[in-house]
Amino acid sequence: MIPRRAFMKSGAIALFAAGFQGGIPGFLLRAAGAETTGKGANKKKVLVCIFQRGAMDGLMAVTPFADPALRSLRPGLFMSPAEKEGKIIDLDGKFGMHPSLQSLYPFFTDGRLAVVHGVGSPNTTRSHFDAQDYMESGTPFSKSTQSGWLNRAVGKLPEAHSPFRAVSLTAALPRCLYGDQESLAIANLQEFALQVRGNPMAAKVAAGSFEQLYDVTTNDLLNKTARESFDALQQLKQANMKSYPLTAGVVYPNTPLGNSLKQIATLIKMNVGLEVAFTESGGWDTHFNQGTLNGAFARNLKDFSDSIAAFWADLSAYQDEVTLLTMTEFGRTVHQNGTGGTDHGRASCLWVLGNDVLGGKVYQQMKPLNKENLEDGRDVPVTTDFRSVFSAVVGNHLSITQPEQLFPGFSGSPVPLMKRS
Amino acid sequence: MRKSFRVPVGIVGLLALIFWAFTPPSTDPVKESIKMPYKKMGLTKEQAAAHLLSRFTMGATPQQVNQVLNKGLENWFAEQLNGQLPEDDLLRRLPEANYPALKMSNEAIVAHYANAAQALRLAVKNQLVSRDSLQLLSKPEYRAQLQQLMKQQGLEPLQELNRQLINQKIIRAAYSPNQLQEVLTDFWFNHFNVSLSKGASQQFVLTYERDAIRPYVMGNFYELLIRTAQHPAMLEFLDNAGSVSNNNEWSRKREQSTAAKRVKQRIEKMAADTNNSQQAAMQQVLARTNMQGLNENYAREVMELHTLGVDGGYSQQDVTQVAKALTGWSVRPLSKDGPAAQLMQAAGPLANRANKDNVTINDFLFRANRHDEGEKTILGKNYPAEGGYQEGVQVLQQLAAHPATATFICKKLAIRFVKDTPTSLLVDQMAATFLKTEGNIRAVLVTMVNHPDFWEPAALREKVKSPFELAISAIRATGAEVMQPFQINNWITKMGQRLYYYAAPTGFPDRANFWINTGSLLNRMNFGMAFATGKIPGVKLDVSALNNHHEPASAEEALQVYSQLLLPQRDQAENIRRLTNLLNESGLEEKIQQAASKQTPPPVTDDGEEMAIYKKQSARRNAVANGNMDAMPGNTGMLQQVTGIIIGSPEFQRR
Repeated sequence: MIPRRAFMKSGAIALFAAGFQGGIPGFLLRAAGAETTGKGANKKKVLVCIFQRGAMDGLMAVTPFADPALRSLRPGLFMSPAEKEGKIIDLDGKFGMHPSLQSLYPFFTDGRLAVVHGVGSPNTTRSHFDAQDYMESGTPFSKSTQSGWLNRAVGKLPEAHSPFRAVSLTAALPRCLYGDQESLAIANLQEFALQVRGNPMAAKVAAGSFEQLYDVTTNDLLNKTARESFDALQQLKQANMKSYPLTAGVVYPNTPLGNSLKQIATLIKMNVGLEVAFTESGGWDTHFNQGTLNGAFARNLKDFSDSIAAFWADLSAYQDEVTLLTMTEFGRTVHQNGTGGTDHGRASCLWVLGNDVLGGKVYQQMKPLNKENLEDGRDVPVTTDFRSVFSAVVGNHLSITQPEQLFPGFSGSPVPLMKRS
Repeated sequence: MRKSFRVPVGIVGLLALIFWAFTPPSTDPVKESIKMPYKKMGLTKEQAAAHLLSRFTMGATPQQVNQVLNKGLENWFAEQLNGQLPEDDLLRRLPEANYPALKMSNEAIVAHYANAAQALRLAVKNQLVSRDSLQLLSKPEYRAQLQQLMKQQGLEPLQELNRQLINQKIIRAAYSPNQLQEVLTDFWFNHFNVSLSKGASQQFVLTYERDAIRPYVMGNFYELLIRTAQHPAMLEFLDNAGSVSNNNEWSRKREQSTAAKRVKQRIEKMAADTNNSQQAAMQQVLARTNMQGLNENYAREVMELHTLGVDGGYSQQDVTQVAKALTGWSVRPLSKDGPAAQLMQAAGPLANRANKDNVTINDFLFRANRHDEGEKTILGKNYPAEGGYQEGVQVLQQLAAHPATATFICKKLAIRFVKDTPTSLLVDQMAATFLKTEGNIRAVLVTMVNHPDFWEPAALREKVKSPFELAISAIRATGAEVMQPFQINNWITKMGQRLYYYAAPTGFPDRANFWINTGSLLNRMNFGMAFATGKIPGVKLDVSALNNHHEPASAEEALQVYSQLLLPQRDQAENIRRLTNLLNESGLEEKIQQAASKQTPPPVTDDGEEMAIYKKQSARRNAVANGNMDAMPGNTGMLQQVTGIIIGSPEFQRR
């Protein structure tokens, strides 16, 4: 339990920037990177996670095109490097990336991007909501786990006093960040402020009042959350995000994912002590008219790819500090369904991007997709436990010793996809 | 039911008479069954009334606690369970001129509010763009031309339909006298969630709430299940409209018929005709027509989310079998000149012959020639071959009557109305009523309020309001007049709840920690201040009238009076003590007043383009509504400040 303490550190005024009069408040960091001496001298390692909610079709994103069973089970959705079959990007003679991932391909060739295929959960549920819950709690057989695995990972990091250690760029705090460690959920950094339009005096009084009231409320959730908000506000008071512009030439897609990653990049550049960042991307539940080269899946995947590519380019000077990990709750049926889409399946694929990654490789132990090899005769079996990937990434990148302990009940070994495993 | 005993003859009549002597015919059996054990749980009548209001309304209005006390708690609750209070005032707030869609059929809506695909077709048909240059429509000048074109054709954009949907929800929640009906409409819509985020269901969400949810929220659970299952919004949202099978007699015949082949050729020719403005759309429909298989999406969610619950004991096998039982459950063509209607016409008499076993109920269409005729086993029950339309109905009946459904639904109700973690004792008792009454929702709610758990002091104020509930309760508590509901919607969105856009079929989670996080909590405080200080356009609020224009003599008195008005029956002594010093700072009141008079706030314009049309219509009313806000005499500034702080305070977030 975190002991309750008074909010009143520097008084109500500290919560308010001077010029919040209509429009969007800018952010001026009280002292950019106050914890560090000299800019960049003590940069934190940052793990960025993207959850692809809705179960991404791993077989279409990174297609085992050399497998004849795939071609026959999904004739309307099959793609290959051949000109007439979508001209996907051949990675290694066996797997090919969907053309929508073109902007990520250079990272694969220069060895920073790894693909892990056949990934999933040992729990066979095909419910989105259960599977997401298990993947975020990190305990695939226990619904009663209160905390999320990312929150537990933050708990293993050296002490630090930034309220910005764990931030989710989502409207609600995701399950993976539930727990004892302070975590922020902010849908939009630009609106993260206490505002009373046009009346600074009134604003000051309101801020003081809210501090007092939330300090004494008997509702623990309201109390704890308000404390975290006020702490974060104090650190980010008076700011100007314009001091941290986009790297020249970078254009993010104007989509929820693009905007979230842009804000994560800003927080990294601001050096506010960010160590774990989370965001999500929707629209992967492609039961209907999934499309191939064009269509719903291709559009979504292009947004995914272009957003990450822009994020990476924007980070330029910070790339050594950042690793990006993607995840999705499960994959989709090998065969196409009756409506030009795919139904809920088992294993999918994920990506890991970073300078610490042993990339340029598809890590996988998949078997041929013949019917006798499929789970329940229909789905790609899980041959790599998602915890083997997550533990490898946090163990290495965040220097957490015995990362498997983040996943109670897990005894597998990490996938050797990081440089200093 | 008792009315059938009207003619007392012989012994039966005598018995009936004796029976009647104890329960006179004029009494309401529902009301008779309400026995609220609040005294036993240590609550005063006043506290119990406040608790009832906090759970079964969108928030108490001023003096409503007294009204409930005068009426009697049981009477008030029975009245709410009946949901028959006159709504004249409410309907005046939803005039047909501003809300024409509220009375339209799906067919009329499809013909009037164009979705993206319809707008595209219109643009191509009128040669604004060609099919190869659709991307031009992202340019402002082309958009303007398209809008002009739509206007000429008497069409409006879909956003206008969505505006009416969202605004009516806010108006009803804030002003309906039948509050429980609104609370339950919100609950059941969320339970059977559909979303504006999915293109195919967008045009049907308004009628879904109106026709499939609202009339049945206090009736029988099965009724909700079947109405939602057969509404176009759900059929499209969870893809069942496209789930088909060739395992039937007609499909087998078609395989061999030369006439069928000719029709097929004719249709394919139509779809290949580049002179047909609907060619692209026709190809899509054709592709869908030629699709030959199951889509498990609805079948899975109807068990996981609507009835049994994820731990309700069904298997992947059951999912597939339910999907098969529901093949052919689809939507009749609603657009007269749409691609589906064109294809139907092209198929001609051949289609009609196959259609003799079709079933049409409103806009639901059972397509016999797309149904799987095979034998099925679902949750251990056998369904013989050739069950037709009735087979799907029986499956839904089986699911509605399943004990796992009773437990799952009752637990969800208990979470909504009692606390986030209800005891199994309470849930079991509610579930027993559910099974005994075959899913009578009124009876289940009565069992709930008759249970001590509902009145447990620890359960009071234990729920955290959703952003929607917070905004509506602020309107109700202050008696505010809302002229522009969409402005309220913008704030609800900012606080983390985009009404009607939750994309997952689960609906919004009903848990405090989903709603409360760093970003959203600050916006709740910001909302309180903006709302009370008159900074939300189209919302008129007279804080001084709340207290009948009696001006409190001091900041402390203002806090006391307004806390009691806005948060009846809650102990606020500690909060008031803490705030008094702050507000008593010398000259503060004057400074606030000065600051307010110096600066006229810029209008809030962050309402997005959805509001563009509406803004014009209401610009004038808006000016009237806001005009005298800054000119209020006396210490209105201080009262607004106090009201805003109370609305943004932790206590006001709880219900």
